[in-house]
Amino acid sequence: MSKFSMNGREISFEAGRTILQVATEHSVEIPTLCHLQDADHAQVCRICVVEVAGSDRLLPACATPANEGMEIHTDTLRVREARKTVLEMLVASGQHTCFAWNRPRETWSEAHRRSAQRPWHDRNCPADGECRLQELIVEYGVDTEHLVPQDMDFPLDDDTPLMVRDFSRCILCGRCVAACNVVQVNEAIPQPFGRREDKPLPRGWFPLADYERCVHCGECVQACPVGALFEKKAFGLIGPGEGDRIRTTCPYCGVGCQMWLHVKDGRVLKVTGVEGAVPNEGRLCVKGRFGYDFIHAPDRLTVPLVRENGVLREAGWEEALELVAERFLRLREAHGGDCLGGLSSARVTNEENYLMQKLVRAGFGTNNIDHCARL
Amino acid sequence: MTNQTFSTWGSWVPGRGQVPPDTLPVEFSPGRPLKAFMGWDGLFVHDESANLVAMVSAYMEQARKESCGQCFPCRLGTEKICGILEKIGAGGGDPEDLHRMEALARTMMNMARCDIGQTTPRPLLDILAHRREALLEVMEKGEPIPRGNYVMKVTAPCTNACPSHLNIPDYVEKIRFGRWDDALVTIRRDCCLPGVIGRVCTRPCEFNCRRQRVDVGIAIRALKRYAADRELETHAEPPLQAGPAKDRKVAIVGAGPAGLACAYHLGLAGYRSTLFEALDEPGGMAAVGIPHYRLPRFILRGEASHAEKLGAEIRYGVRVGVDITVDDLIREGYAAVFVGVGATESAKMRCEGEDAGYQCFMTGIEFLRRVSRNERPMEGKKLLVIGGGNVAMDCVRSALRMGFEDVNLIYRRTQAEMPADPQEIREAQQEGVKFHYLVAPVKIIASEGKVTGLECEKMELGAPDASGRRQPVPVKGSNFVIPCDAIVPAIGQTCVVDCVLPSEEVDISRWKTLVVDEITGQTRQPWIFAGGDCVTGPATLIGALAAGKNAARFIAQYLETGACAPSDGDWLEKLIAKLGIFYFKEKMPFQDTTMKLHRSVLPPEERIKNFEEVEAGVKPAQAVKEAARCLRCFRIALAAV
Ligand SMILES: Cc1cc2nc3c(=O)[nH]c(=O)nc-3n(C[C@H](O)[C@H](O)[C@H](O)COP(=O)(O)OP(=O)(O)OC[C@H]3O[C@@H](n4cnc5c(N)ncnc54)[C@H](O)[C@@H]3O)c2cc1C
Ligand code: SF4
Ligand code: SF4
Ligand code: SF4
Ligand code: SF4
Repeated sequence: MSKFSMNGREISFEAGRTILQVATEHSVEIPTLCHLQDADHAQVCRICVVEVAGSDRLLPACATPANEGMEIHTDTLRVREARKTVLEMLVASGQHTCFAWNRPRETWSEAHRRSAQRPWHDRNCPADGECRLQELIVEYGVDTEHLVPQDMDFPLDDDTPLMVRDFSRCILCGRCVAACNVVQVNEAIPQPFGRREDKPLPRGWFPLADYERCVHCGECVQACPVGALFEKKAFGLIGPGEGDRIRTTCPYCGVGCQMWLHVKDGRVLKVTGVEGAVPNEGRLCVKGRFGYDFIHAPDRLTVPLVRENGVLREAGWEEALELVAERFLRLREAHGGDCLGGLSSARVTNEENYLMQKLVRAGFGTNNIDHCARL
Repeated sequence: MTNQTFSTWGSWVPGRGQVPPDTLPVEFSPGRPLKAFMGWDGLFVHDESANLVAMVSAYMEQARKESCGQCFPCRLGTEKICGILEKIGAGGGDPEDLHRMEALARTMMNMARCDIGQTTPRPLLDILAHRREALLEVMEKGEPIPRGNYVMKVTAPCTNACPSHLNIPDYVEKIRFGRWDDALVTIRRDCCLPGVIGRVCTRPCEFNCRRQRVDVGIAIRALKRYAADRELETHAEPPLQAGPAKDRKVAIVGAGPAGLACAYHLGLAGYRSTLFEALDEPGGMAAVGIPHYRLPRFILRGEASHAEKLGAEIRYGVRVGVDITVDDLIREGYAAVFVGVGATESAKMRCEGEDAGYQCFMTGIEFLRRVSRNERPMEGKKLLVIGGGNVAMDCVRSALRMGFEDVNLIYRRTQAEMPADPQEIREAQQEGVKFHYLVAPVKIIASEGKVTGLECEKMELGAPDASGRRQPVPVKGSNFVIPCDAIVPAIGQTCVVDCVLPSEEVDISRWKTLVVDEITGQTRQPWIFAGGDCVTGPATLIGALAAGKNAARFIAQYLETGACAPSDGDWLEKLIAKLGIFYFKEKMPFQDTTMKLHRSVLPPEERIKNFEEVEAGVKPAQAVKEAARCLRCFRIALAAV
């Protein structure tokens, strides 16, 4: 074990970790915007800088190894001023209109009004209330009173049915790039960085996706710390803090990814991966993240149907169950349980799937049970 | 110079210390004064008529262009600072802007990720601290300020150390981004044999890599090889595009690295060339000197063919000076000639019997030439090789692979003074070569015209000479004989250019090398250019490639304008080299320390059985990891002339 002092407190740690990791383990909060541990992505935002005795420069906690005997200060005036200087420039570099959204329109600048004309800007920013940038802007007391949105022709990508990439709010943290290339390894968001002169605006450094390679898993959306990437279907339907979050296991396949269902008024409006939980560590595939429409699909069966002379008619549960039970029992008596079988679906709940196999094994008396996720 | 020098040069890099102003260069190029200079370590002004505000604006604009977007303070800071400077330059701005600019510059310097962001605010901060009145004056006048004549260059310690100035941090970063193909495009701009150089370069860049101040330097050579290997593995066609065809043709004497590079870069510029090569193989010493276990033949042949793809023709088996003369070439209609004939003669040892023509005595160059054709050069079991350079290492290691059982190396100093690459020495030792230090040859012993032994004398290290190296001096009466079957002297090469170019036409130095303009490669005859070992004496592949590349540029200029002269960029490069860019004493506290790249080599007992390549290439994940260690030590220099 090594030791160093952080904000005057002595802390022991195991060698081979960064200052940020040690701080997090000891509940010392150091803010970050770009850090994405899973992808080893760091060093971009420099918001995590700290003061270390012996260095004239401020050092990024995310990339500086914790060394024996270091004397670290994470929240001095100098550190806070430095962070604030960057945050001021950052928030002025895009169209962060959330700060003016609830102000009377008459007080808006011309640029505010033009920004509101952009597609998807007719409502408040979808990240409002759960945005890392917004949090820090408020915490560091950056002046938002006089903030004017950057008036520029930012690229917008809403050609796909599931996601919107609205680069007027992109802070160029590179998290989506790392999430796509390093976490999911789809390599569908090419590295956008390079000499400014080689990256002319409006495209600039914005991380545009390559839809030849994109599998629409939405990992980039989950990684985006601000409101630049968002889901189309949920846009405007559920805000942060609204409705309930229900943790469940994805029914689509055997991996068992952990997911949050974002539910409001009895409807599932959005799905996100549970960070820090096995097996998926926050990751989801296109089905798990976006394939929830069937739950509230209007053409879904809601009552049992019985076929009579080739025509389906609505029936009561009692009647339908009687009929099925009676026929199945008859078949089982005549031919044995193995003449029956069950195929179950990914679009019912896990509990229902469990009951289905119970019915087939214990009720029918056969192992002829399968599920579409095994295909 | 009318005014005294004002300088902050040397005050920024930690652990370095201010450079005495009277030692700073005052000339930009011969006869042209340097008014002022701005860079990564401050600024200096010789001539107060240089407008510092205009200079620093131009400097920060360059920083803004170079900013890569990978960190917030620099991406946003350069933009903001340029905005303020632009306002001031156009006759606006107020004192409050100076405070803002100072805060922004400090934020950049203290927080940015790489040296673009960390070093470019320094001149601005110097001006704010020592020449604030210059800024205030401009604001007071309220008139736009005119720009002077500025020359700018972006470089890095590694880039600067490389004779061909490859943009190393750029291609290393492209490898980090998984773009080996883009990396190769960058590499090929300055080096037409990436797979060759990626294997056998003497790697001056690595010895000047700033990462050494943290832990170990970046494995730059291995990364270059990685990019070249990936292209081969994926069967990708190298993107070679000859320039719009020009009608004048160039003759090139020698298809060694210098000649190939000249042909390649002429091809890119649209000029077709014909190479006249005495041997039946391209590559010069890389083909008939460097053994295959270090450089497989197919790599060299493949990359040499790229010059042909760009329109060059190689005529093998033609010895210029014998089969055809340079004058004939001009008569045949070639508009210019590039001479790259190398240093192909062996130097003399001044040892009794070396000219007697004994059997089983052969120069290192001849020995390796035969090895390169898979011939066993000489019979016998016990071999003595004399010398301590890389050629000697190639001889002893090749000898083991050719079946000599007892291979000995004799060197007159100690291992510490050996010029050979330490890695080569280590690998030779592992393979079982016996090293004898402080021993010098005196006389070759022969019987019936065949070598039987070597009389030697012991040496000791005496007082250091002017260069600081301790000179070996013989120990009186210490003579002894080493019995052996064969002897190979490998103590250096000399040039033979007079048979190609008569000395009445060009200047030849007393080392028998061609005398050319240091930058343009032009000889006394304006249409004859030269480069590579025949100009420098035995040197390096990358030096020869650089010479060929530069000569191609100046030949094109000569053909288009009838004359050629170095550009301001060339002079600035020289100026930067003079100022120095890698500081062995720089202090870099608390950088992330990382693992060194693992080299995968065949075990010694396996590798001496044949000429299989000893070292394996690195895997993609390793390459990306290694590339991520680069600190991006870009430096921007601006000279006002
Ligand atoms: C054994 C050995 C090992 C080396 N190892 C390394 C190494 O690991 N790394 C490194 O960087 N450098 C190494 N070098 C040095 C490097 O090979 C040379 O610096 C480089 O090849 C010089 O290139 P060049 O084109 O100037 O000359 P050369 O390579 O000598 O090429 C000259 C060419 O011109 C031809 N030629 C000569 N005269 C005539 C004529 N009259 N007419 C027509 N053609 C002619 C020759 O046949 C030859 O092909 C090594 C050298 C030797 C000898
Ligand atoms: S991205 Fe964040 S800071 Fe920007 S508008 Fe949206 S909520 Fe506000
Ligand atoms: S889109 Fe989001 S995650 Fe991607 S770089 Fe922009 S802000 Fe970061
Ligand atoms: S050039 Fe260097 S300092 Fe500037 S944005 Fe890129 S990483 Fe940051
Ligand atoms: S760390 Fe990178 S940029 Fe710096 S000297 Fe080494 S290779 Fe060059």
